[in-house]
Amino acid sequence: MDTLNTGTPPKTWLVESILVTLFCCLPAGIVGIINASKVESLYHQGDIEGANRASAEAGKWTRIGLIAGIVVGVLYAIYMFVIVGSSGLFNS
Amino acid sequence: MASSTHNRLLIIVVWALVLLSLLAVYKFISPELAPAYFPKCPFRQYTGLQCPGCGSQRALHHLLNFRLGAAFALNPLLVLSIPYLLLGFWLDATRPLKGKWLVVRRTLYGRVAILVCLVVVLLFWAGRNIPIVASWLNS
Repeated sequence: MDTLNTGTPPKTWLVESILVTLFCCLPAGIVGIINASKVESLYHQGDIEGANRASAEAGKWTRIGLIAGIVVGVLYAIYMFVIVGSSGLFNS
Repeated sequence: MASSTHNRLLIIVVWALVLLSLLAVYKFISPELAPAYFPKCPFRQYTGLQCPGCGSQRALHHLLNFRLGAAFALNPLLVLSIPYLLLGFWLDATRPLKGKWLVVRRTLYGRVAILVCLVVVLLFWAGRNIPIVASWLNS
C-alpha cells in the first residue's frame, strides 16, 4: 500500500512533540503527535504538497508549545526568585 | 543567501545557549530540594492527578547526575523514551535517508508508530493515576 513515494517523507516533528508532552504542555504535545501522523498519512497517499504543508503546520505549533513552555518556566523562576528572595531578605 | 545562512547559525547558537543553561539549572539545582523555583504542572495542581509529564523535571535532575533508577521511579516513560528520541533526532537530521534507514524510519516513526506513541502516552497517563498500575509502573 505505501508504495507511492519512496523518498524521505517531510519532518513529522514527532520527537519534538513527545518532548513537549513530557516537559511542558501536554495539550500542545498531543496535538503535535496527531499532526505528525497527518504528515505521514498524506505523504504515503501521494500528496507530497499536502504533507509538506502539514509538516510546516506541525512544526509551527510544536515550536510555539516548546517556546511558550520555556518562556513561562523562565518567567516563573524569575518571579519566584524575586518573591522568595525578597521575603527571605525580610525574614532574616 | 549569505544572510539567511547567518541567521540560521545565529538561531542555532541561541538555542544551544538556552538549552545548555537549562540543562545546567536542572543538573545543579534539585527541583525536589528547591521546588519553589520550578514551574508546577497546572493539570496536577487543579486535578490532583498526574499527567504523562509529571516528574520530568525531577527525573531530568537525576538523569543529569547519572541516577537512572531515581529518574525511572519519577517518570518511567521519560527514561524509556530517551533511546527512541535520540534515534528519531538522528533520522530527522540525516536527509535524504537511504536504504535500510528509510525502512527503519518507516517502521519506527511511520504512521502506525506515531499512533502507537499516542496510545502509549494516553495509557501511561491513565495508568499512573490508577494506584495498582502506578505501583507496578514504579517497581
